[in-house]
Amino acid sequence: MPVVTVLPENLAVEVEPGESLAQAAWRQGYHWPTTCWGEMECTVCAATVVAGEHAAEPATAEEEAAIAGRMPHFLRKPGTRLACRLRVLDDGLVVEKPGVRAPQ
Amino acid sequence: MPDNTATQASAQHNIPHAMSAPHRVPKERYYDREFFELEKTRLWPRTWQMACRLQEIPKPNDYVEYEICDQSILVVRQADHGIKAFFNVCPHRATQLAMGAGSFPGGQVTCPFHGWRWNANGTSSFIYGAEGFAPECLRDEDIALRECRVEVWGDAVWINMDANARPLAEQLQPAAGRLEDVAIGNWRVKWWQETILNANWKMAQEAFMEGWHVMRTHPQLTLGAGEASPAGSLRYDTYPNGHCSFEGGSLDTDFHSFDVMLASSQLLADGLDAMAIERDMRVLESVRHKIGPDDTIRAAVAREMRAYNEGAGIPMPAGIEQQSLWWNGMVFLFPNIFYLPMYGNSLAYRIRPYNDDPEWCRFEVWSLTTWPESYPEERAVLRGRFDKDDTDNWPLIPIQDFSNIERQQRGLHVQGYQGHRLAVDWEAGIENMHRELDKRLARA
Repeated sequence: MPVVTVLPENLAVEVEPGESLAQAAWRQGYHWPTTCWGEMECTVCAATVVAGEHAAEPATAEEEAAIAGRMPHFLRKPGTRLACRLRVLDDGLVVEKPGVRAPQ
Repeated sequence: MPDNTATQASAQHNIPHAMSAPHRVPKERYYDREFFELEKTRLWPRTWQMACRLQEIPKPNDYVEYEICDQSILVVRQADHGIKAFFNVCPHRATQLAMGAGSFPGGQVTCPFHGWRWNANGTSSFIYGAEGFAPECLRDEDIALRECRVEVWGDAVWINMDANARPLAEQLQPAAGRLEDVAIGNWRVKWWQETILNANWKMAQEAFMEGWHVMRTHPQLTLGAGEASPAGSLRYDTYPNGHCSFEGGSLDTDFHSFDVMLASSQLLADGLDAMAIERDMRVLESVRHKIGPDDTIRAAVAREMRAYNEGAGIPMPAGIEQQSLWWNGMVFLFPNIFYLPMYGNSLAYRIRPYNDDPEWCRFEVWSLTTWPESYPEERAVLRGRFDKDDTDNWPLIPIQDFSNIERQQRGLHVQGYQGHRLAVDWEAGIENMHRELDKRLARA
């Protein structure tokens, strides 16, 4: 099962096939910021890919439209992905997402 | 006179356009607003209805919204794989919490308005802005999602909005047993799609309670027999609780000829992709030179079907070929579900009022089949909503049925029409359904 590294806390989150990074985190009891819980409405779950982009499935047109249309532009960076849509193919992906906390 | 009889008699008096003369159905039952409103208050909120197939919510947190008239229910798969159903409304300011089908990631049902949240089991998990409310507005028991009764039968989830309803098994008996005898629990979705019809929901479904419309509506199925094809070739039964059935064959009677059997099955495989499917055609074709001197065609078909199913790992309970429904037939479950089984497959229908309008309905069709045991369980998804005359997306047989249904609804309004007159021998199921409906509507 692929493992994603989440900075700055350096957490190792296991992601099942077909599952998004945020879904995997919620399922395992991590706190991952959101307000819409996977509806692609809030963009609060957005993370920045900092390494290992090859291990992630590319963003769909829907996800890109949500980032472009719903996310304040000063929060957008190259490498911004919605964690609720970010699917992982392999080990090696590193993302930065402040506010993610390990299961209590 | 006992009290309950008196109550019933006086309540009965209050139903507009009630069933009275035998074998006649008042036309107003299909378009009258008052009658439709009575169904909305006395039938739908108090009857068990099929809300979704289990395959639509295979994983924890998967949900389906079930709509009936102006009501909306969320059916949610739980972490322990059990099922709960909730009235689909935020207790704050009435927002519907979810629509269609999907899953609740993280097991959180969230209101899209102010972000209040519930766990998939309906308990409140977060009240944004709670500090701004008077405490008596936020009592746990008022804020938890309100549950609706749920039972599972026939690989499907059934709901009842009435907390005091009798158990599902009581409502479905005795017809449910007929379907259990042909292993309804093994049927899975091959395809599923729907259309919207300009007809009352009862008008639409009555088209499928009898088989004698085949001669004129589906002429191809008589294989050229035309008007010589007998109207009374099926056995019809009515049951308590509004159910009915018909069936066509049994091991004691044989097909007229191997070629007629094969051609009829091929018409279903080509014209419907249901009841008989491609897989069955290969087996049926292989029977031609395996009919022994002491065999009937049916005995040979049953034997070869069993051999194929055993080899393929497709469950086929012992003795199922003794059931005439295994060969061909229909079971209607009141108020609005149909199964038409054949060879471990079944066609199925669900018919609901649409857009709060007595003259429109939503008509769903499933092709169900029994898969090999090893077949992966995938989420069943509606293939789409297609126009009733869309030949790219509907097979010939339903297109033929749909076109009559809308013509009937228009005919109801034509001057001089006196209401339905039903065949005693072949259409008693329709009358039986209406009489059960009146019983439900009479209960205050």
